[in-house]
Amino acid sequence: MERKWRKIWGLIGLLLLNFVNNVSSLSLTITKVECVYKIVRSEGDIVSGNFVVVDHHIFWSSDHPGIDFSIISPGGDILHNLKGTSGDKFSFKAPRSGLYQFCFHNPLSTPETIALYIHIGHIPNEHNLAKNEHVDPINVKIAELREALEAVTTEQKYLKARDAVHRRTNESTKKRVIGYTVGEYILLTIASVLQVVYIRRLFSKSVGYNRI
Amino acid sequence: MNKGMVFGGRAACFLPIILVLCLTRNSNILPVAEAIWLTIPSSGTKCVSEEIQSNVVVLGDYYVIDENNPDHIPTISARVTSPFGNNLHHNENATHGQFAFTTSESGNYLACFWKDGSHQKDSELTLGVDWKTGIAAKDWESVAKKEKIEGVELVLRRLQGIVETICGNLIYLRDREADMREVSEATNARVAWFSIMSLGVCIAVSVLQIWYLKRYFVKKKLI
Repeated sequence: MERKWRKIWGLIGLLLLNFVNNVSSLSLTITKVECVYKIVRSEGDIVSGNFVVVDHHIFWSSDHPGIDFSIISPGGDILHNLKGTSGDKFSFKAPRSGLYQFCFHNPLSTPETIALYIHIGHIPNEHNLAKNEHVDPINVKIAELREALEAVTTEQKYLKARDAVHRRTNESTKKRVIGYTVGEYILLTIASVLQVVYIRRLFSKSVGYNRI
Repeated sequence: MNKGMVFGGRAACFLPIILVLCLTRNSNILPVAEAIWLTIPSSGTKCVSEEIQSNVVVLGDYYVIDENNPDHIPTISARVTSPFGNNLHHNENATHGQFAFTTSESGNYLACFWKDGSHQKDSELTLGVDWKTGIAAKDWESVAKKEKIEGVELVLRRLQGIVETICGNLIYLRDREADMREVSEATNARVAWFSIMSLGVCIAVSVLQIWYLKRYFVKKKLI
């Protein structure tokens, strides 16, 4: 009898596991507007995540307007609105269950790549009267522990993406330093050779006139 | 003892409902809520990518979501490529598909989807993509069966897996930071060295100019 209950609890524990893993990380390329949708199963779930603009072109204009980001709830309200960012973290408690939209808008025409990571954390309520089930308190504690670990993982994904951006900037700087310096030397030499040639020409033609 | 039996009894009541919900999670009857939904434009491809290290298990699952006409679901084609351009998965004219592979090189893995030519309507398609890497892709049910652990022990084993992944990520970040510090310091030294050298080149070139011109004028008997 005791074994039977242990088996049932084991099975419930196993099955409950399925509901707490809810992560998605990927990179998208945005040309104009790009929306990513995610279903939040139950109200009160904590949605957390971050995004980093990876391909933020390090070109001549340092006044790049950035990317606009907004989160739209299933009811149509805008939960989060950011204009002109190159990366940010977000975290909110879902007011209702349903389909949430994470939208990016690129004001310029050059496509940008964005690394996005979204995590939906669900902690089962100990006394969920609406569903009339009873959850073992240890499962609640384990879910909380798991959410804390997932928060660390979320932060790490953000750091990884930022590190990738920083690395690109660094390598671009290195290439620019070498390229522009060598170009500068060559231009300098060419300019001075041209100067000498020009002066030669000046004096060779009109020697007759300048002879004292 | 009594409380245990009462709660066990109630749980046994809800067991079949929980079972049905969990088993249908993986079929196409109920869409999987962990996946991310994307819209595939009517023309052009939609690509998602991720930067993955080597020796990581990747599990992918994609399916078309179309509530408008359930009997005539539009089909898509998919392709997954490795950073070196090898084709890891290719599927045409399908409404759903799965792929699994272990990465052999680290880099950017790309999964591209596009609408099939047969359904050339001007409507956009919603595609659900479930992309799992590393610890999220591990099959815990088989581990539970093989090692005969269940319940709390299995959950704790899973948490231990997550902690190990976190440690691995930290080491990776630390190594990358060390690499980047080296690149920064090299660039810094280079900037200083090249600027001084450009000053030297400037002076050398102007001295050469003056010397050459002086020699030229003396030769031409102008000085």
